[in-house]
Amino acid sequence: MEHTYQYSWIIPFVPLPVPMLIGVGLLLFPTATKNLRRIWAFPSIFLLSIVMIFSFDLSIQQINRSSIYQYIWSWTINNDFSFEFGHFIDPLTSIMSILITTVGILVLFYSDNYMSHDQGYLRFFAYMSFFNTSMLGLVTSSNLIQIYIFWELVGMCSYLLIGFWFTRSSAASACQKAFVTNRVGDFGLLLGILGLYWTTGSFEFRDLFEIFNNLIYNKEVNFLFVTLCAFLLFGGAVAKSAQFPLHVWLPDAMEGPTPISALIHAATMVAAGIFLVARLLPLFIAIPYIMNLISLIGIITVLLGATLALAQKDIKKSLAYSTMSQLGYMMLALGMGSYRAALFHLITHAYSKALLFLGSGSIIHSMEALVGYAPDKSQNMALMGGLRKHVPITKTAFLLGTLSLCGIPPLACFWSKDEILNDSWLYSPIFAIIASFTAGLTAFYMFRIYLLTFEGHLNVRFQNYSGKKGNSFYSISLWGKEEPKSIKKSFPLVALLKRNNNERERTSFFSKKTSRMDTHVTKMPFLTIFPFGPTKTFFYPHESDNTMLFSMLILVLFPLFVGAIGIPFNQEGNNLDILSKLLTPSINLLHQNSNHFFDWYEFLPNATFSVSITFFGIFIAAFLYKPFYSSFQNWNGLNLFTKRVNKSQRVLGDKIINLLYDWSYNRAYIDAFYALSLTQWIRGLAELTHLFDRRVIDGITNGVGITSFFVGEGFKYVGGSRISFYLLVYLFYVLIFFLIIFSFFSLV
Amino acid sequence: MVRVYLAFTTNFFPWLTIIVVFPIATGFFIFFLPHRGNKVTRGYTIYICVLELLLTTYAFCYHFELDDPLIQLAEDYKWINFFGFYWRLGIDGLSLGPILLTGFITTLATLAAWPVTRNSRLFYFLMLAMYSGQIGSFASRDLLLFFIMWELELIPVYLLLSAWGGKKRLYSATKFILYTAGGSVFLLIGVLGIGLYGSNEPTLNLEILANRSYPVALEILFYIGFLIAFAVKSPIIPLHTWLPDTHGEAHYSTCMLLAGILLKMGAYGLIRINMELLPHAHSLFSPWLIIVGTMQIIYAALTSPGQRNLKKRIAYSSVSHMGFIIIGIGSITDTGLSGAILQIISHGFISAALFFLAGTSYDRIRHGYLDEMGGLAIPIPKIFTLFSILSMASLALPGMSGFVAELIVFFGIITSQKYFLIAKILITFVMAIGMILTPIYSLSMLRQMFYGYKLFNGVNSYFFDSGPRELFVLISILLPVLGIGIYPDFVLSLSVDKVEAILSNFFIENFHK
Repeated sequence: MEHTYQYSWIIPFVPLPVPMLIGVGLLLFPTATKNLRRIWAFPSIFLLSIVMIFSFDLSIQQINRSSIYQYIWSWTINNDFSFEFGHFIDPLTSIMSILITTVGILVLFYSDNYMSHDQGYLRFFAYMSFFNTSMLGLVTSSNLIQIYIFWELVGMCSYLLIGFWFTRSSAASACQKAFVTNRVGDFGLLLGILGLYWTTGSFEFRDLFEIFNNLIYNKEVNFLFVTLCAFLLFGGAVAKSAQFPLHVWLPDAMEGPTPISALIHAATMVAAGIFLVARLLPLFIAIPYIMNLISLIGIITVLLGATLALAQKDIKKSLAYSTMSQLGYMMLALGMGSYRAALFHLITHAYSKALLFLGSGSIIHSMEALVGYAPDKSQNMALMGGLRKHVPITKTAFLLGTLSLCGIPPLACFWSKDEILNDSWLYSPIFAIIASFTAGLTAFYMFRIYLLTFEGHLNVRFQNYSGKKGNSFYSISLWGKEEPKSIKKSFPLVALLKRNNNERERTSFFSKKTSRMDTHVTKMPFLTIFPFGPTKTFFYPHESDNTMLFSMLILVLFPLFVGAIGIPFNQEGNNLDILSKLLTPSINLLHQNSNHFFDWYEFLPNATFSVSITFFGIFIAAFLYKPFYSSFQNWNGLNLFTKRVNKSQRVLGDKIINLLYDWSYNRAYIDAFYALSLTQWIRGLAELTHLFDRRVIDGITNGVGITSFFVGEGFKYVGGSRISFYLLVYLFYVLIFFLIIFSFFSLV
Repeated sequence: MVRVYLAFTTNFFPWLTIIVVFPIATGFFIFFLPHRGNKVTRGYTIYICVLELLLTTYAFCYHFELDDPLIQLAEDYKWINFFGFYWRLGIDGLSLGPILLTGFITTLATLAAWPVTRNSRLFYFLMLAMYSGQIGSFASRDLLLFFIMWELELIPVYLLLSAWGGKKRLYSATKFILYTAGGSVFLLIGVLGIGLYGSNEPTLNLEILANRSYPVALEILFYIGFLIAFAVKSPIIPLHTWLPDTHGEAHYSTCMLLAGILLKMGAYGLIRINMELLPHAHSLFSPWLIIVGTMQIIYAALTSPGQRNLKKRIAYSSVSHMGFIIIGIGSITDTGLSGAILQIISHGFISAALFFLAGTSYDRIRHGYLDEMGGLAIPIPKIFTLFSILSMASLALPGMSGFVAELIVFFGIITSQKYFLIAKILITFVMAIGMILTPIYSLSMLRQMFYGYKLFNGVNSYFFDSGPRELFVLISILLPVLGIGIYPDFVLSLSVDKVEAILSNFFIENFHK
């Protein structure tokens, strides 16, 4: 089937006609194009399906033969430099292209409904298809220049899609922030590429690795310089994958429509950084410092993302921080050299997170009708709650995604995360402890989201019920507690994390009692007109339309079964799972003689440990985030336990929680720090250069002009066509002339 | 028979003279056109421009061979006898691109100038005069002729600026003429100095001059003279302050010509005279050129966000992008020089389109200041789309011409044999910082203009979106930008042999040393 490979260059170009046609149509024949409207969605889905079938075919061949295919043709011809274009098909490419196309199709399908009432429906589809094109181009590219080109293009698509709702000023700043932050990474990427080109004289991956390893082996190259280049290359990945110092753009990127967040900012584009590091791993692995740096950045991001996700009130931002943390896991795995684990987690996380985002989109869609379209209302978890009975299908899907992400055994993320945790124990105990701790945190924040959103009662309705009419909606605690009195009013948000033991109830989500209570509450007439927004009389959030549910339900299948590709099935003696089989050539490239053993006896205790951590996290979450508008305030067995807690201990606990909350709410102060240091600095510098330009450089010019004007005027005034004046000047010059001659002769 | 025909077409038919003289000659007829308002004049001018562009393209297609680095379509007529002044024209791979660019941009600028109604006959005549001057200076093979053509196109710019500009037009026009005339003095000194050196009869033929060598001190002196003249035009910091003022005040069709072509004459002059005629001094000065170019990228990119005026912000962005050309020229490599030439063409397109967009949006909102704008995306979506695309092109998004040009300049720097590793690392690093600063100013410009939401009150609330004329102008600029970005060999192949020929001088020199 060689010809499948031959025609595989077409992969990125298949979805391209859609954005081109829509773009030209919107510019030249806007009315006609807009009238067609939904018809445009079909070709984009159809073309992407073709690519999906193609990439499935390719990967099946990869499994059977595990060959790498490369084809190149030249782009520019010059004697000194030649750029080449090519396509490069290897297991990594086929995995990524399957991932992009499957998630892409489902998201396109989903957004047909999600965006159906939007003015920019066509624009949206054009951007999406263009994104698919460039992302597919990125994964099939065969050299670094091509990677850079598509890297920038996906960045631009992300910019356009984040700023999709351009009338919102928050979206406007978010998209600029995303682009500029990514440009900082691209700066590193470009310099790294240039540096590597200077050392090796090639852009092609395979030539590059070969020459590079030879150079390192023969010590013919300045090690510091090479390390710098590798570091700069890694910088590109850091920005795109939202790793620690450059992660600031990702939470803000949630300003874009939710399908975008599912496709670009959870499943595919942010994985491009992981993809790049995985692609260049043969290069990085030669430099141990860089590998250590990668794992260090990974572990910092894991922890930072998880702690930041703890107290977000925006559902999408919570998920964004969770994405960041999970990407940190992948980076950590790559830094440890466990290529397979990183890719496995990349796949499983992509599907689970896409599912979660689609679920959150469905929630937002149903909340929007209730609370209005501003993102700080419709995405505010404080206003949600109790959606379980209103949107049951979404709830099921979301719960599955949550469980998968937490790492509950039969679901996908369990297998991959467990593998990373196992490998980290071998790598460094400290990292392993942090990673395992974060696994607990993951479970905690994911269940926090789940409980706040789906359990309890719809909080919009309960603002009056809590007896605090005067307060803003912030009074609905995100921490599941009522507002205490000891908090100063100047920190209104700190107030959200106070505890009140009276309102705690038993662990809820398997409890039958809550449903009884629900029925009790829902009998009450909900005719409250809530305090903001126009007076609408939607009573309950509605389940989304079938199109959205359909794509969510399809996507549910992935977290359920994708784990299977990484689980070893004992078939005829060779202990190989699909993923290992697929990745064998790449892994062999990295570890010359590694035989991958999979031992169930070794696996079980580790798995038990990680699952127990997860359950602990879930338990804590359930403990803290009980729906607190409960009529059964004193019904609680746990009250006995908590009442015994010492007063001083409680104060300490409050302080810790306050601290954590502040940390999370203020985004670890990193955004503020950047705003203060970098942005202010650049603004100041811009002001300064502007002043310098106007006052000094322009000032000199103007000064010369004005001086010459005055000199001319002065001469006019002094001269005034008087003979005496001319005589004076004449004599003066004669005098000077004589003086010069005199001095000249006296010198000689 | 065939030979006769060939001889007739290649040698005897004065293509270039016709191309140079045609616009200004036909321009005089504008004054004899019947007084029937604006329409006749502008139709006539467009007609002339298109005809000229077609003529140029035809001549270049059929009578120019790309793989020949020598001068082609050469013409040589004695003009002034006693002074040895010749009407000497000829083109090679280096001037081919700028001439075609001139034809293209000028035609579009005439189309862009349709709303000009005040004294339109003079306006269009000046446009055509500028057309001739620009093509003349790109095509001349005689130093003095080059100087005369150089001066010829200053006068139309001055008049266009002082008569059809904005509020501060007189200040800007005076500043422009003083700056450029000041630069021209140095150019004249250089021309006469080179021409009169070593013989009693002035030698002004560029071919002969290219093979001459001078004492080092004299060569450096000449070099400085020419450098100042071209630095004013390019512009190179610190001689750039005329540019923001001029661009801020001029009508946008004039801006298109200024940014699209006039600035490129400086860069062209640097290559044509400083590199070709004075290679020795150039290799001495090239490190300084690179340093200045790097500083210019950063400096202008930093100054740009401080500007409140939209056009001034774009003007600073074009100052910043000209830095890449200077670096490419200074790198003394095939790659770098090709990149510089590509950047000349690419920036010509992009900046012309940006100024046109700025002008058309100004026509609609009547605010020149960025902080008074906002929320324009809804009333004028097409302008928004094209503005976004072209800002992306300006910040060197891959797939657009700017990216290829800048990338090639980067490669020129790192493959250059002349510099040490540390110096190269530093320079590339600083250049790449410019890459971070560019999106800061261009995207914040977009954000301030289009994003957000604003209610437009009463009178202003009724906007037209881009009409077919404006769309046509923009799309015809956009297509080459995309075309070069996707397949840069279109432009690179024009100049590749000439670039090698120029650089072989440097290698011979290194060899002799």
